[in-house]
Amino acid sequence: MTRHLRALAWLVGFAAPATAGAQTVQNATLRRAQQAYDNLEYRQVVSLAQAALRERLTGAERARAYELLGFTYGALDSILRAVDAFKQVVLIDPERQLDPNRVSPKAYSAFDVALRQVLLVRQLRIDSTSFVGGRGAVPIRFTVTQPARVVTRVIGTGGGSYMIDSGAWNGQVNLSWPARLANGDPVPAGNYTVVVEARLGQNAFSASQPIRVSHGSVDTLPSLTSLPGYQYLPETEVPPQSWRPLGLAFLYTGGALVGTLGLESSSLGSSSKRELAVVGGAALVTGFVMTLRKPAPRPAAANILYNRLLRDQIARRNQDIAKENVARRQQVQLTLVPMAKPSGAGPR
Amino acid sequence: MVLLVLAARTAPAQGITVTVGPQFALASYREVASGLRYQGAGFGGGASARYRKLSAEASVVRLTLDPAAGGTATSGFTATEVDVWVAYDLAPYASVEAGFIRRTADPEFDAQSVGAVRIGARSFYEIGPGATVLFRANYLAAPKFSGGGHAGFSIDLGLGLDVRLAGRLHGTAGYTFQRINRKTNPGGTGEIDAPIQGTVARVGLAVGF
Repeated sequence: MTRHLRALAWLVGFAAPATAGAQTVQNATLRRAQQAYDNLEYRQVVSLAQAALRERLTGAERARAYELLGFTYGALDSILRAVDAFKQVVLIDPERQLDPNRVSPKAYSAFDVALRQVLLVRQLRIDSTSFVGGRGAVPIRFTVTQPARVVTRVIGTGGGSYMIDSGAWNGQVNLSWPARLANGDPVPAGNYTVVVEARLGQNAFSASQPIRVSHGSVDTLPSLTSLPGYQYLPETEVPPQSWRPLGLAFLYTGGALVGTLGLESSSLGSSSKRELAVVGGAALVTGFVMTLRKPAPRPAAANILYNRLLRDQIARRNQDIAKENVARRQQVQLTLVPMAKPSGAGPR
Repeated sequence: MVLLVLAARTAPAQGITVTVGPQFALASYREVASGLRYQGAGFGGGASARYRKLSAEASVVRLTLDPAAGGTATSGFTATEVDVWVAYDLAPYASVEAGFIRRTADPEFDAQSVGAVRIGARSFYEIGPGATVLFRANYLAAPKFSGGGHAGFSIDLGLGLDVRLAGRLHGTAGYTFQRINRKTNPGGTGEIDAPIQGTVARVGLAVGF
């Protein structure tokens, strides 16, 4: 029972990718081949698919016919033939990718072997990006299925061509294009095509991706009014209440009293203290009242210095921002967007 | 005084603080011997100004001095005291000052009229919000007397108080002690001591501009 279930799952694995594309098939022979495949009549699939290939088919139908052959040969354990069939599939549709979760390991491995036996540039991807000219680059990635000399260029609609890279690559390739001319200026706005050409001996393959480059102004920075995490401190502080005012009043009044007593003329006798009592008393009362009152705020030297440093720092930062903004007003914001891909890729 | 008030009104625009106000004064005065002593009171006015580290003050007070009880003086006199000085702050609590004093007596021969240059220093301290206390000591240089003579040692001490009472209104109080070692030579018979000693207390109000 378990073996029967496993066999059924195996067959479903072969059947699933084949049925997925059946709706686009217009050719009657190919439809019959598809039906035979669905009915697990593999001998009939081979003959019908080969017959369909001798007829007039669209590219997608031709790829479907070879794919049916690939899956069928895989099911019949004819791996070499399956590989040949899958090679035809990827030559017609280089972006064709099998889902390892939905196809049998045999078919998948045959497809993988087929991929490594033909020279292809696949999965050319250019993501939308935006950066200031000269301060960024466009990421370009693709896969080369065999070791090959790969030349990557950008061709403008006006005929201008800019080399991005030329080197020997195999497998996943990641490149970056700064989108600048030889003199450092950003490339003019417009439509371009990124072309990747791979060459290995007599074999050559190219893939392309159109992109649109647009120019915009660079955002300027706002001036700072404060530094994050730093706040101005109060420049005055109220000292703690003390007896200092009364003490000072005593000191000054005492000075006047001592001076008066010490300087009085002996021949003239002791002078009247009424005048000193009036003014000294007023000073002492004032000192006592000031002792009871909340002291006057006084400058906090450390805070004043700190605030001055903070102000200087903010001023310096704003000067830098102003310089940066002057430079930014002369810069260009480049925005690159990939466009719909034409069906131009293929072996040459 | 009117001119001072008018000048004071234009001062704040130039960064100058000015106060002007009336004063009531108490005074005692002794001359030559301990028996010749007087006490009295009077009125006057004063004005002060400050511009950065520079300050100045001028005051005039007219005193009516009567013979003190137990003294030998038989009649009183009226004295007019003028005191003018300018000071420059050397520190936030100290300044040097220079000025002149002049005290005239009426009737002229009932007491000595004195004029002198004063040079000295003062110490002041803000003991609370708007309250400043000061102590000063001045040497009275080159004193001149209406009755002649000279003084080798003359000194003028002072205690002052300025309290901001409300808004622009200030209360002021000032104490002055003067000791002048006057010597005279009447009729060429030889020098004799004729010292002068006086104290004045001024209490007043002032309006700040």
